[in-house]
Amino acid sequence: MTELSKIRNFSIIAHIDHGKSTLADRLLEACNTVELREMEDQILDSMDLERERGITIKARAVKLNYAADDGETYTLNLIDTPGHVDFNYEVSRSLKACEGAILVVDASQGIEAQTLANTYLAVDEGLEVLPVVNKIDLPAARPQEVKREIEDVIGLPALDAPEISAKNGINIHAVLEMVVRDVPAPAGDRDAPLQALIFDSQYDSYRGVIVYLRVFNGVVRPGMEIKMLGTGAVYRVVEVGVLEPKNMVPTEALGAGEVGYLTASIKTVSDTRVGDTITGTENPTDAALPGYKTVQPMVFSGIYPADGSRYGDLRDALEKLKLNDASMSYAQENSIALGFGFRCGFLGLLHMEIIMERLEREYNLDLITTAPNVVYRVYKTDGSMVEVYTPLNYPDPAEIEHAEEPFVKASIIAPPEYVGSIMDLCQQRRGEYQDMSYLDQSRVELHYDMPLNEIIYDFFDALKSRTRGYGSLDYELSGYRPSKLVKLDILLNGEVIDALSFILFADNAYPRARRICEKLKENIPRQMFEIPVQAAIGGKVIARETIKALRKDVLAKCYGGDITRKKKLLEKQKEGKKRMRSFGTVSVPSEAFMAVLKLDE
Amino acid sequence: MEQQLKPLGIYIHIPFCKSKCEYCDFYSLPGGRNKKAMEDYTQAVMLHLKEAAQRAMEYEVDTVYFGGGTPSFFGEEGLRRLLGEIDRRFILRPDAEVTLEANPDSVSGPALRRLRKSGFNRISIGVQSDQDDQLRALGRPHTFQQAKEAVAEARDAGFDNLSLDLMYGLPGQTRDQWAGTLQSIIKLRPAHISCYGLRVEEGTPLYEYKDCANLPDDDAQADMYLYAADTLESYGYRQYEISNFSREGMESKHNLKYWMGGEYLGFGPGAASDFAGKRFTYQRDLRSYVEGMFGGAPVLSECESIPLRERAGEYLMLRLRTRYGIEGKEYRRMFRMDFAPLEELLEKLRKVRYATKENGRWRLTAQGFLLSNQIILALQEAQRESVSIWVDPDSL
Repeated sequence: MTELSKIRNFSIIAHIDHGKSTLADRLLEACNTVELREMEDQILDSMDLERERGITIKARAVKLNYAADDGETYTLNLIDTPGHVDFNYEVSRSLKACEGAILVVDASQGIEAQTLANTYLAVDEGLEVLPVVNKIDLPAARPQEVKREIEDVIGLPALDAPEISAKNGINIHAVLEMVVRDVPAPAGDRDAPLQALIFDSQYDSYRGVIVYLRVFNGVVRPGMEIKMLGTGAVYRVVEVGVLEPKNMVPTEALGAGEVGYLTASIKTVSDTRVGDTITGTENPTDAALPGYKTVQPMVFSGIYPADGSRYGDLRDALEKLKLNDASMSYAQENSIALGFGFRCGFLGLLHMEIIMERLEREYNLDLITTAPNVVYRVYKTDGSMVEVYTPLNYPDPAEIEHAEEPFVKASIIAPPEYVGSIMDLCQQRRGEYQDMSYLDQSRVELHYDMPLNEIIYDFFDALKSRTRGYGSLDYELSGYRPSKLVKLDILLNGEVIDALSFILFADNAYPRARRICEKLKENIPRQMFEIPVQAAIGGKVIARETIKALRKDVLAKCYGGDITRKKKLLEKQKEGKKRMRSFGTVSVPSEAFMAVLKLDE
Repeated sequence: MEQQLKPLGIYIHIPFCKSKCEYCDFYSLPGGRNKKAMEDYTQAVMLHLKEAAQRAMEYEVDTVYFGGGTPSFFGEEGLRRLLGEIDRRFILRPDAEVTLEANPDSVSGPALRRLRKSGFNRISIGVQSDQDDQLRALGRPHTFQQAKEAVAEARDAGFDNLSLDLMYGLPGQTRDQWAGTLQSIIKLRPAHISCYGLRVEEGTPLYEYKDCANLPDDDAQADMYLYAADTLESYGYRQYEISNFSREGMESKHNLKYWMGGEYLGFGPGAASDFAGKRFTYQRDLRSYVEGMFGGAPVLSECESIPLRERAGEYLMLRLRTRYGIEGKEYRRMFRMDFAPLEELLEKLRKVRYATKENGRWRLTAQGFLLSNQIILALQEAQRESVSIWVDPDSL
């Protein structure tokens, strides 16, 4: 066990793309923890998907040994945090495990919405926040202005903040010295009852769940029986250890102040919720670490295999993903149009996209997704209330007394010239203006109360395109409010396609219905007969398009008797048909479902 | 008892062209006349013919087709030698249909006369359009005037069985222009007319600029097609296949083999054969074909035996391209499968005038031809779901 005074536990926080993962790589390199030849870019992001998208999805931790200028060797535990608003809770738990945080700010872009959101989270957890100005090698870098911005807007002393380029390895040493000097050493009593925080967990098919933890008091060692205070689960510890960059190294014990992992033949990550407190069953503590909550999925969507016969494969894949992702939920759902599938819950749209992509990539599934929806509360005339997760369960309008939808507090930061355009957008999305403040001359922060439903579609994309990429967004759930909601049904050739139904704000129904009909017309190939595409509320049709009958599909030439080639062309066409779902007599490609999700393109 | 000889078609591919047309994805090598390459090729095909003939003792050749590429560009001497070799090695019927494809810019009166004399009796000339600007846009190396002259020369040389190729759906082409082209062609009184809708194939130059080529859309192409079918029919050209029209009795016997399930042997790179229950294709590469012939290296790119069940699918795919269509009794006899599911679907198609039934035979209408891929796929699907039945052939 390392002496408390020689330990520094810290995180790196940043707005997306400000260079957090690159800085982490450089710190690892500087401590020679990773041999140069083993360096792959962004070593902390171990999922392929993370590396490709350049964002961190799961938090990870790593132990560095740093020989500081004072002649002492320190153990630096770097705890990485996810960088997206969907994963705010995970971020706050990762921060809880630290005493300090490096705040990375891009020298050309300055403070963004998530810079603020993450900084406030860190300050709330009582962390020492140490600013660093990154990307000083960029031509547009304005480090002095950005430092002033940090002082003015956040109120952190920043004039001495290291000016670095993580990409080019400039001034990394200064960052490490700052960590040793300014991050407080952990406090804690190793003789007290065990009290440790779970900040992440990961499923491993050989060892079961690997729990990433920070010990606050006491000691945990193999053989001990432990209990999770939140879930009540009890296990016997098999192994504890520290997290070296390339592998996990078992140790005899982990004591107060230390960061590491434990295994205990745990079968599912839902027993080891992020934020939960671990104690020993012998000599336990009653004091759970504050802040634990079960995260609730906010966005729900139906997920169906494009090929109905792969339902079983989809179920197995979801089971496996769930082992590793306690924040996702799924339940079986049955659509008349799509057959068997699942209603899945996600923290946000990015979370949903990631899960979808993993299902398609790692499990080789072709999926059809239905329009995402939030959880509506519908109060019925008989006095009961139902939470509606799917349009399939939306009560009959005659039974509805009133309905409520979830609202969020949204914070948007952008250069002032885009304020008008942002206000337009927010107004279109039923946002209620709260206030606006200038962070400095080049940056405005706007606050809006908005229905979550309006954000989950494509708000972020729309914001980005209206602000040439400069706008940033952060939001948190604020509660439910009464709302005028309707369920919109889509009919193809006169038949309701239940999987295309969705719930929306009544005043938006007409324009959206028109857009959807247009989109479907564009995305459903012409067929042997004319197909009416209609949108209806209740029985009333409010929009209509017609897909004209196909007139020409012929292989004109059969040259030199090459029948094999001709057969292959037909075969290809048949394969194309297989990828479509047929509804009655109409074949619909899965792209059509995706197209209605992205209406503004 | 004397054994009855089975009919056989022979296709010779001539992979040489003066220049490559913008839309063409057939195998051919453009460029000036390369005497050496052409001579090597002639030798290789002659060798190939000799070898193949040994396996075709029970056959008599009733159709020969020289396609390309541009056979007329290849030169009459080589063509005559190849036909001579066919005559020498195979049993070539005296009344066999012997077709030559020609481009208007590479024919001459004397050469045509010599070809006619040596046994060629049918000529198919690639006219494509009567508008010179359209011909230029397609990369055709000739004008419409040249095409008219070529037709006259072919007639003078004694080619009465004359076929003209046309294309529609050309860049910038209007319906009116197409109507005009048809009139110009009808005036030339050919025995046979082929009309092909322009298809933009990947890998062709046209594919690269298709989006700015001002191509008529599918609806316009469909209109042009239906207009052509109507017009040609009214001038006595019967539509006997999706893209082919002829005066009574002047159908291309060779091409009909492809659609009616006849047997044929193809020679040359990329050429396809359907012979003795097997279907095979040679590699689309001149050098490997020639070297393969002389050196014995394998030249096949594909070879498959077609099981009966698959033949049943092909029967639908190919027969329904023609006016002869399909018939229940014939189908049951050939494939021992139930025709009822197909008939049910065909009845539905008849109601919307995509199919018609005459004297017990089903065929597609011109509108049906336009959608033949969809219709064939639907019929094949119905076929897959139907069960084989045992039918005593004698009871039929």
